[in-house]
Amino acid sequence: MKEKILNILRDLRSYALKKGYEVTIFYHEEDSYLMRFANSAISLNTNEHLIRLEITAYVGNRRASYELITNLDKVDEMKQGIDVAAEMAQHAQPLNYQPTIPALTESFADESSFDPALAQISNEERLAFFNHAVAGLETEDIKLSGVFTNGANTIAQITTRSAHTQYFKTSDAQVTAVLAHSKLKWEVQSEQSAQEKSDLDPDLAHAELAFLLAKYQQSNSLQLPLGSYKIVFGAAATADMLNIMNWIGFSGGSLKRGFSFLNEAQVGQRVFSEKFSMVDDPSRRETFPFQYDLAGIERKPFKIFENGVFKGFTWYQDDADEFGATPTGHNVMHKSLVVGAGSQAVNSLEELVALPRTEDILYIPFLHYMNIVNPSKGIFTASSRFGALLLKKDGSVEVPFNVRVTQSLFDIFGDKLEWLSSATVAYNTSSSYGARNPTALIVPMFTCVNNLEISHSNTSY
Amino acid sequence: MQREIKQQIERLQAAGATYVDARWYPFEEANFLMMWNGNLKNTTSTRESGMGVRVLYKGAWGFSASSDLSSLNALFDKAFDNARIAAERVTFPIRLAEKDAIQAAFESPCKINPFEVPLAEKVAFLKEMDEKMNQAGVFQRRGDLTFMRKKIVFIDSEGSEIEKLITEVFATLEVSGVDEQGVTHERKFRLNKTADTRGWESIDRRIFSENAERIVKEMNEVLKAEPCPKEDRSVILLPGIMFLQTHETIGHALELDRILGYELAFAGGSFVTLDDFGSLRYGSEKLTARADATLPNTPGSFGFDDDGVPAQNNVLIDKGILVGAITGRQMVEEANAKARKQIFQGSGGTNRANAFYRVPIERMTNINIDPGSDGTLEDIIKNTEKGIIMDGDRSWSIGSNREQFHFATEIAWLVEDGQVKQVVKNPTYKGATVKFWNSLSAVGDQSTWQMQYVDNCGKGQPNQIMQLGHGVPVCRFDQVRIGE
Repeated sequence: MKEKILNILRDLRSYALKKGYEVTIFYHEEDSYLMRFANSAISLNTNEHLIRLEITAYVGNRRASYELITNLDKVDEMKQGIDVAAEMAQHAQPLNYQPTIPALTESFADESSFDPALAQISNEERLAFFNHAVAGLETEDIKLSGVFTNGANTIAQITTRSAHTQYFKTSDAQVTAVLAHSKLKWEVQSEQSAQEKSDLDPDLAHAELAFLLAKYQQSNSLQLPLGSYKIVFGAAATADMLNIMNWIGFSGGSLKRGFSFLNEAQVGQRVFSEKFSMVDDPSRRETFPFQYDLAGIERKPFKIFENGVFKGFTWYQDDADEFGATPTGHNVMHKSLVVGAGSQAVNSLEELVALPRTEDILYIPFLHYMNIVNPSKGIFTASSRFGALLLKKDGSVEVPFNVRVTQSLFDIFGDKLEWLSSATVAYNTSSSYGARNPTALIVPMFTCVNNLEISHSNTSY
Repeated sequence: MQREIKQQIERLQAAGATYVDARWYPFEEANFLMMWNGNLKNTTSTRESGMGVRVLYKGAWGFSASSDLSSLNALFDKAFDNARIAAERVTFPIRLAEKDAIQAAFESPCKINPFEVPLAEKVAFLKEMDEKMNQAGVFQRRGDLTFMRKKIVFIDSEGSEIEKLITEVFATLEVSGVDEQGVTHERKFRLNKTADTRGWESIDRRIFSENAERIVKEMNEVLKAEPCPKEDRSVILLPGIMFLQTHETIGHALELDRILGYELAFAGGSFVTLDDFGSLRYGSEKLTARADATLPNTPGSFGFDDDGVPAQNNVLIDKGILVGAITGRQMVEEANAKARKQIFQGSGGTNRANAFYRVPIERMTNINIDPGSDGTLEDIIKNTEKGIIMDGDRSWSIGSNREQFHFATEIAWLVEDGQVKQVVKNPTYKGATVKFWNSLSAVGDQSTWQMQYVDNCGKGQPNQIMQLGHGVPVCRFDQVRIGE
């Protein structure tokens, strides 16, 4: 199949060259499966096989794109798409900069992240995972929700600037299991990210759900008073905050458009806690990495923060073209963000709960509906969800109703950062918006921050 | 193709399927242009076609979609196979509310097909607006145009055959500037309903030019403003933020699939329970909200939903009391059964999918607030002692059961003793949903009512971005926390 795809791309390139066009041709194929659960039943079982072709044509500094959903046997339709893109580019307004047309200097193919066994998990296996993960945990009131999505993703690219091709094939699975009380409306959750089939661990999901379920069934519930708390964020919450930072923090394009809380004068300066380091590391397979970016630049580990010092902005090719910056190999569908492990020896929620403590700790595993209140200050807002716990200083545990946190990322990862756990985890942040794009960050399992305000506290679940 | 689809439906029925439908998209096309600081950064067209097939078997759904229609057998069989495995974990066998078999066609009102307008004309419009926004104080300026056109053929096993041709137009102008503290502030204008048709004719240069001038002026006022105070005030929401308040804390909260727990794995649930219908005082007596998919020319009007149910105008909240929900065929049956009473008389006709490769789910149509009797905006201001007028969505975040929220807006004006005073920057407000709506103390008349368009409502897994509308008046809420 790989050769068939690449041969079609070569054929399309030849067609474009014959017509005198300058184009990039980007191929995206997904074979996606999704089983969704609600009210302890399968509420949706679906699959889709889609091939998208995106053609970008250039006429001098004019540029236009045409995207179609197509099939491999519709080469004529693809060629028509090239004609449409080229025609559109003729009529586009010139940019005031010269966009770079990728000139791939060598061919590259990476199928190392493709596990056919994961891509082809059957309906029966998806169902069996969930049956195992919640065995004995459901009741008349406690219902299973969740999603198991897996599939194969193929990306390929060619341009008229060279005959070289890029080809990436990945398999992935993202699993979320939720147990929710249908009357009280609390929810506990276990999530997994898989890059190969052996990553899937229904026993672990069961253990995580059982632990949280016991806490929620046996502990007192309470409305937390507003005020400052020591908060331990789980991996999901941390990953979500870092995704926001990726957008409004260290993106060169966001900086130039006034949508960043970091600025050029801060490069080389300490902006966060010395405990915080983050690198974009395409060698980490758990992040579904790109070894080359789509402009053909070989990607190497790129330090973003080292012991709190801001090392530099990342640049998409088009932003670099527009603002005269040097591209950094970040013309990718997602980065491979890896946060350095901390020193706090805690490897599971059970260990966190058992950790000796001299004050109450609010554990927030997940932040719901995060949004940016003030990008220039790095301020976001979100609510806790999916299994928050109040770890009392006397060693007991209570279950708080959800709370809202409205804070600056400077506070979270700055001087208020107390510790990061030594254990890290690949947290899958793939979205099911648009084309399949498996994405994960490697983050500490737990991130402890002192003295954070909660600005709203629910009166019930 | 229609004949082949019907044959496939009959074949699956013979194999045991209790219900089958197919949505065939002969075409769906889109055109997106975005100009940023004078650069035409994005000129993209898309085209797709394909079919989605939904099969109900032993009380469970299976769905499959493909752009390759060379083997309808394989496509329909896959959907059936997906239903067979889903039937192994059923807790409430799906039943569909009754509906009539309908043979009909619907075409959204459009005078000038935007796909027949030359690209150069669209670019010239954006260039003209870009030049209008290129004024002192403006750091970034952005204009975008989005056009969509799709043909959908719906056929089901109950004898319905419906053909729809829908054209959508969205447009936005936005400027931003940086204040002395280095903080960026934005102000935008989105196309809302200005006429009863929606094609290229919606791109009215006069309206856009006026609004380009307005947003630049207002953004510059924000740059010089003092910060929003942290205190309790009466909050007067203009339609440019009132639509989002309605969207997030009435619309999503009243989707019946959320209420029944079908979105708990992702989007969340709702604080509303089945026991609340007919009794919950959702808001003050001044609040009447409805789901109206019958209005001409809005993204929330579509003729027939993707269950084949005609568009309807249903009251959701009547003088403050919760009476209805956003419903499709499946959920009303389940809700009535679980409540052991007939809360819902039938489908509300709101089941929609955003593409051939997605399954229909309950979506907002036009979720509107009826105009009230508290006069014009000026009248409301005049009757406000200590207030703040807010407009323009900047940030929004809502609790997972839609029980509480936090909004930031682009601009606000303080009101003291019935007079509009100074602009303030970084305005925010927050609240608890039911308490907030019960603090509704004034609802503007028809002169304040605007139909706002939404082109980016996300819901479901796999996720679906849907277009819809909100017709809302100016509203005032008392004792609201601002500035946090």
